[in-house]
Amino acid sequence: MLGAEARQQTDAELVRDSLAGSEAAFGEIVRRYQDLLYRHAERMSGGADDAEDIVQTALIKAHRSLAGCRNPGRVGAWLFRITANVCKDHLKGRRRSRLSLDDVPSLEAEFGDPGDALDRKGIRTRIDLALRRLPLEHREAFVMKHVEGLSYQEMGELLGVSVPALKMRVHRARDGLQELLEDLK
Amino acid sequence: MSEIDPRIQAYLDGELRLEDLPLALRESAEEWDRLLAEVARSAPAGAPAGFDSRVVAAIRKAGPAPGVRNMDPSPDRPAWLDWAIRPRSIRISPIAALGLAAALALVVLRPWTGVDMAPETEPDLLARSVYVQFVVQAEGAESVHLAGDFSEWQPAIALSDPDGDGVWSGRVPLEPGVHEYMFVIDGSEWISDPNAAVSRDDGFGRQNSLLAVTAISGT
Repeated sequence: MLGAEARQQTDAELVRDSLAGSEAAFGEIVRRYQDLLYRHAERMSGGADDAEDIVQTALIKAHRSLAGCRNPGRVGAWLFRITANVCKDHLKGRRRSRLSLDDVPSLEAEFGDPGDALDRKGIRTRIDLALRRLPLEHREAFVMKHVEGLSYQEMGELLGVSVPALKMRVHRARDGLQELLEDLK
Repeated sequence: MSEIDPRIQAYLDGELRLEDLPLALRESAEEWDRLLAEVARSAPAGAPAGFDSRVVAAIRKAGPAPGVRNMDPSPDRPAWLDWAIRPRSIRISPIAALGLAAALALVVLRPWTGVDMAPETEPDLLARSVYVQFVVQAEGAESVHLAGDFSEWQPAIALSDPDGDGVWSGRVPLEPGVHEYMFVIDGSEWISDPNAAVSRDDGFGRQNSLLAVTAISGT
């Protein structure tokens, strides 16, 4: 199958053709969802290198489990769930979630006087640093809500967590970010 | 940690409008709007150029995946032969091994609640296989299929309910070892075997049923 044909297929058709051995079909699945997965992984891990490793690992794992994808029409959600799990495993392995505030440089130590002009890169780095200090589940919920723009319902379907529990995680994340990002307001 | 006023949280969740907030809270709510807009704007752009090609190359390098035909199959070899000769391995964690040992004991020592075993053998590929009868109650179902590691997780093994009483069953030759499986109702609903003694999380939020098949001596 040619790549141009793959681009016109539904997700379910691409999964079917991937299972039949079509490299182009799985490549198209990757192209459709790589940006979403990559954004999530980069914002969760705080680094582009980590994000590439995480998403590649997740997609290889997904390919090896593709026969177990029970709703091929929603393969994107399935890939997201796998990526989110790989992300959490990766971060737990690095024990980042257990860093205390004392272990992470303060914003001031990293960037000097918060009154300095903040360029885009500086703001992004501050946000990444602030997110990194949040507990893993709070960070995940905040990123899905405010970076990926998902509704609580969509988040619940992806993570298998109830809407009230997700709301609580997002609220706790905002509480945590309030102090850390005070200088950006 | 200072907590944000719950009314601002509700506003940020889209449950309250700005004009619903007391005047004293509106400025803070608008600050949060600006901050969250900045968070959204600072989102990473996405995967770098060529990332998809690197993923596909890594998958090709990793070799054939279960249930997925080889991306570069031999044109002269039928697919069923590829499947039949593909090496397989069973990984058992130390914790799972305890549960599996219990399941194995159940298979050997007493009739299985949902699965009956009979020592029937056939030549060639099936020489070491044991016929296992799978049974599941699925009243109102139009079809029930079995999927497991032994079918590369394809729901390709149809169970039957000839008398229409909602009890679906089928016999399947399985090699001795530990197998994972699920039933597929009407082609879309995947369920665990309610009678399975042991199950294991499949990593995607569901439970695979576990079955230990042991060779019967003298067969």
